[in-house]
Amino acid sequence: MSRGKIKFIIAIAAIALTLAYLVYGGVKDTMVYYLTVEELKERIPSVYKERVRVSGTVVPGSIKKDIDGNLEFKITDGDQSIDVRYKGIIPDVFRDGVQAVVEGTYTPENVFQAKILLAKCPTKYEPANPANKKEST
Amino acid sequence: MVETGSICLFLSFVISVYTLFASLVGAKTRKREFTNSAENGALAVFILLTIASGSLIHALLTRDFSLKYVASNISRDLSTLYSITAFWAGQAGSLLLWAWILSIYTALVVLLNRRKSRELMPYVLASLAAISSFFIYLVAFVESPFEKLPFAPDDGRGLNPLLQNPYMAIHPLTLYFGYVGVTVPFAFAMGALLSGRLGDEWIRNSRKWTILAWTFLGIGLLLGARWAYLELGWGGYWAWDPVENAAFMPWLTATAFLHSVMIQEKKGMLKKWNMALIIITFFLALFGTFITRSGIISSVHSFAQSNIGPFFLSFIGFILIFSFGMFTLRLDQLKSENRYDSILSRESAFLFNNLIFLAAAFSVFLGTIFPIVSEAIKGEKILVGPPYFNRVNVPMGLILILLMGIGPLISWRKASQENLMKNFLYPSILGILTAVVLFLVGIREAVALISFGLCAFVAATIFIEFYRGTKVRAKRGENYLLALYHLISRNRRRYGGYIVHVGVILIVIGITASSAFVTQKEATLKKGESISVNHYTLRFDELNQYTTEMKHVTAAKLSVFNSERSLGVIVPEKNVYKYEGNRDIDNETEVALRSTFKDDLYVILTNFDGNGTASFRVLINPMVSWIWAGGIVLALGAIVIMWPSARERREEAVVRYSVEISEEGTAKV
Repeated sequence: MSRGKIKFIIAIAAIALTLAYLVYGGVKDTMVYYLTVEELKERIPSVYKERVRVSGTVVPGSIKKDIDGNLEFKITDGDQSIDVRYKGIIPDVFRDGVQAVVEGTYTPENVFQAKILLAKCPTKYEPANPANKKEST
Repeated sequence: MVETGSICLFLSFVISVYTLFASLVGAKTRKREFTNSAENGALAVFILLTIASGSLIHALLTRDFSLKYVASNISRDLSTLYSITAFWAGQAGSLLLWAWILSIYTALVVLLNRRKSRELMPYVLASLAAISSFFIYLVAFVESPFEKLPFAPDDGRGLNPLLQNPYMAIHPLTLYFGYVGVTVPFAFAMGALLSGRLGDEWIRNSRKWTILAWTFLGIGLLLGARWAYLELGWGGYWAWDPVENAAFMPWLTATAFLHSVMIQEKKGMLKKWNMALIIITFFLALFGTFITRSGIISSVHSFAQSNIGPFFLSFIGFILIFSFGMFTLRLDQLKSENRYDSILSRESAFLFNNLIFLAAAFSVFLGTIFPIVSEAIKGEKILVGPPYFNRVNVPMGLILILLMGIGPLISWRKASQENLMKNFLYPSILGILTAVVLFLVGIREAVALISFGLCAFVAATIFIEFYRGTKVRAKRGENYLLALYHLISRNRRRYGGYIVHVGVILIVIGITASSAFVTQKEATLKKGESISVNHYTLRFDELNQYTTEMKHVTAAKLSVFNSERSLGVIVPEKNVYKYEGNRDIDNETEVALRSTFKDDLYVILTNFDGNGTASFRVLINPMVSWIWAGGIVLALGAIVIMWPSARERREEAVVRYSVEISEEGTAKV
């Protein structure tokens, strides 16, 4: 093998290793578990230390908002529910009954302190459930 | 009209399948009649899909609520513009748009190659026809926009308020022209593999069409970013959302291809690599359409979910197996004609540029599908967020900027000390100087310092190129402006490329500044109270509530001052849409934005109460406008590259003439 070729192999290997390092480190430091409310409760108490993402339906009537933007609400998986506290940007689609996704930590006081709030309305513009579709034809 | 639409869809499917087989027969038997007939078929498909699209637009404009698509996407109070853009607000319409755009591209390919590439074209057309048959099948039989409701409701459900933004009219359209445009270079690649004509022809055609698709994708991405910035109201323009990534990935690999293709044209190297890149780019474009439309990964941009997932997955699988299968069969014809002489050469700068673009695309791909993969392997859904993407992509982006300065100027084969000194001494000094000065001014963020330094370095290399070229011409007696014009117009690809690079530099500067130096402040104000953020002071004057035809508006009026100097009034709003059908998304935050090249003042009305108290979030985002300005420069550069040069037109005329002569010759025999 020529010296030139070795240089190329070293350079390419360096890129590959850097990529692997960046990806591995990035995944390790930023990954969060995506849980349902039930899965969150099952993970008590180890879940108190982790940053997690939880999805659930916003319990109708549970939304409380003050003028300073402090938000409190409950999300449920239909069976169990948790209290969520949040301050920050509230998506326009957030309201009673929508699918909400919160990211943050669950405290031993059984309150979810959310740092991120996402919301999405699952059945609005296209029926998510194919069965609905058949009916309308 | 509606029946016309369905009938056109059905007919276009039949003709598209016919086109596929006719062109295959034409390719195998080498009989011109079949190929000609297939080409006419492709044109017929274009006409039929144009009529179908026209009848969907007609149905939307005439409020024909007997159509499910119309009833679920618009309402009577919607303006004409947004009634038309509702074409691509839902699943079925988007698929029709895909098919229609593909038929436009196919017709263009046919018309522009009527007398050229006769061996290659039948296979190219067969590939295009196969892909369009798939999409027309979906839109005609699985998700038709012409599906009827058993009875027509009085009014429709309305268009999502988030989609009622001028950028939503143009952004999806541009992006789709990009996604679909990637099909054309892929078809040429397949044509080359199937026909075994792996010479210059396919690579030249693929390059031209890739530039077009790449430009649409890039502009589409920027328009999407601008839409998110104006409409989603969180102060940012890019969130590494799956749908954003979906368009970003094929853009990355297409960028890699546009660079490596030069190495193949000039040196006959990287042939396998280019073939693989085109296939991967097309795969990523399909994958992008798939995740955008299937809702498999949740996203703020996906407004539709449905059952086309399995179809799409099977199709993607088929495309991958078929194309890489053909690729393997032709491997021995894709041997490199040259080898790398030195690591300090243009060839290797381009090679590293490619490796990093591909690495970036791979890391984005991995991050995007991470939840699916982790669920499949570990049974747990794990997400990686924006920090992951930033950590991986920022270093790679910085290296790419460095290469952007080096690649175009370093000599081929092996760079001499002389070459390096001549081209890079002053730019390096300027780059380092920029970083040092910014450090002394008080900027301490390492990434920002490196990024600005590199941008100065690249800008200097480009400036020197323009300066030298213009000076040489000016010495021959042209005035400087004319010399510059001739310099660009006689070397469109090279200098157009530099202009694109200038656009990229502007974008990078904007991204660096706006992500490193954001100021954010929240405040609850009573009437007459003020808040100061950086050099801005905002005084809350009043809260107005009024009703328009479509919505109830709550508008806060704020006077803006820059150290006592009045800058006028801004009005952030919160709107509640009247119409019942829009109830699921009844709130809409309308951001107030005051934009300059120095910074953007971005104000959100977060809340208010009956006593006239309101709370605001105020952001100062530095230099965001540079991103949009960079986009315009980038588009101009791309147009310079694509503009047909006088030489190309002459060559075209010669080819046409000689084909005519040879046709006459065969006709006589």
